[in-house]
Amino acid sequence: MTSTLVTLTLRALLNRRRTLLLALLGLLLVGAAALLRLGDPTADESLTVTRRLLANFGIGVLLPLVAVIVGTAALGSELDDGTIVYLLAKPVARWRIVLVKVAVAWILTSLLVAPAIYISGIIGHGDAQLAGAFTLAAIAGALEYTAIFVALSLVTSRALIVGLAYVVIWEGVVAGLFAATRIVSVRQHVLAIAEALGGDAAAGVAEIELGLALAVMGIVTLLAVGLAVRRLERVELRGETA
Amino acid sequence: MSVLRLETVSRWYGNVVAVNDVTFEVGPGITGLLGPNGAGKTTLLHMMSGFLAPSAGSVLLDDAPTWRHPQLYRSIGFVPEREAVYDFLSARQFIAASARLQGVDDPNAATERAIAMVDLADAADRGIGGYSKGMRQRAKVAAALVHDPPVLILDEPFNGMDPRQRLHMMDLLRAMAADGRTILFSSHILEEVERLSDRVLVVVAGRLAASGDFRRIRRLMTDRPHRFTIRSSDDRALARELFAAAEVEAVELREGLLTVRTTDYGALTRAVAPAARRAGASLLELRPADESLESVFSYLVRR
Repeated sequence: MTSTLVTLTLRALLNRRRTLLLALLGLLLVGAAALLRLGDPTADESLTVTRRLLANFGIGVLLPLVAVIVGTAALGSELDDGTIVYLLAKPVARWRIVLVKVAVAWILTSLLVAPAIYISGIIGHGDAQLAGAFTLAAIAGALEYTAIFVALSLVTSRALIVGLAYVVIWEGVVAGLFAATRIVSVRQHVLAIAEALGGDAAAGVAEIELGLALAVMGIVTLLAVGLAVRRLERVELRGETA
Repeated sequence: MSVLRLETVSRWYGNVVAVNDVTFEVGPGITGLLGPNGAGKTTLLHMMSGFLAPSAGSVLLDDAPTWRHPQLYRSIGFVPEREAVYDFLSARQFIAASARLQGVDDPNAATERAIAMVDLADAADRGIGGYSKGMRQRAKVAAALVHDPPVLILDEPFNGMDPRQRLHMMDLLRAMAADGRTILFSSHILEEVERLSDRVLVVVAGRLAASGDFRRIRRLMTDRPHRFTIRSSDDRALARELFAAAEVEAVELREGLLTVRTTDYGALTRAVAPAARRAGASLLELRPADESLESVFSYLVRR
């Protein structure tokens, strides 16, 4: 039952041209790192630039962009075109549907983001610990993001727009302004993990404590999944004219 | 033996009442849900299939509420009106996925059986995306009955089917009903319901306008007064002649338009030509004025 759900979700997501274009976005990050290497930088320069590239572009742009597109489509595309009826008309517990959708979106997002981050980390500075730290942090962040976006797709039919606005406005601007808002910024959670795992090379990228970041991350993810299950249990289908 | 029951069910969307205080029961056999577009058929079917909460009243399948009760889908097969299916799958994959999600014991055997039932074996490995409307419909039906449910609910199942496919689908539904299944389908086409169902529910504007044996309802429909408009070379002379005819109930000549009312459809059509001859008028047009299904339905509602 679960494997059928996984297959259906994966095929639906991979069938969208949008998803495949996202893979190209990752190449952009790798390309930027390659450019940096071509400039023959000093060790100091390459560390500073690579760190900034990973934090600002990898974690700040690539990860949320891929997560919003994959996360809002995992369940949202079926809600949009009405094929959700085939899933809802089955004796499958709604929590199971949500968990599978989040898990598949998480894994797919990680596959589209993590290799690009790791490779550009290696190309940019050649420090496997730094590259690995950002990669693992991105994978953890992908879970939080996709849970949020799957829930969002059950709350609004314009999840992609709302999700993009959230990424740009909240994660991009507001969360960086005040100490209090940083606590509920996925980006800051990810950077806190990267800093903790990255050793000296990653020192100073995060603005909040690891413990706090992990706790808020866990709470947000659980709340998002809980909200999604609650909404899916109450999804109402209308006729085409109603 | 499964019974769907609606008790004083209403459903509204904001200020719009889609279904208004409806009570009925659907048991084994084929029941047709007949009504014009926008009458609330889909809303009713969605409530019965547990996709919509009633705003008031209760919708029960064998005494269990259908809303928020996914386990009931073991007993329900639902064929939606929407055409959208998983376009990226072949029909066989789509039907097999349904079988697996239903937790059928032997999904592959169930899939083959369902494909054979809807006569789709030749095309089963082609992508549903390239299917015609009728083939899509059959794939949807196969997916809905793959777990052999005692209740089958179909929303406008004959839409887009050619006559041969239509006959085949009717035979299939009859065979399933003969096995003691409860089958409910909606349609806005009188003839479909007439040919297929033992029982009919007529909904108009969210209300149950009539229910029961089809023949009784058919009689109600044909016994109503019919109106014709007539154009001829001399309307006034023709009106005089028509008024003398026994089968004519009323004649009206207003703004150059001659309208005749009768309770006997056939007799009037036979009486018009002789009347025109007697009046010395040549007949240009004889047109039934209110033969649309909507007017038939609204007549039923007024009764």
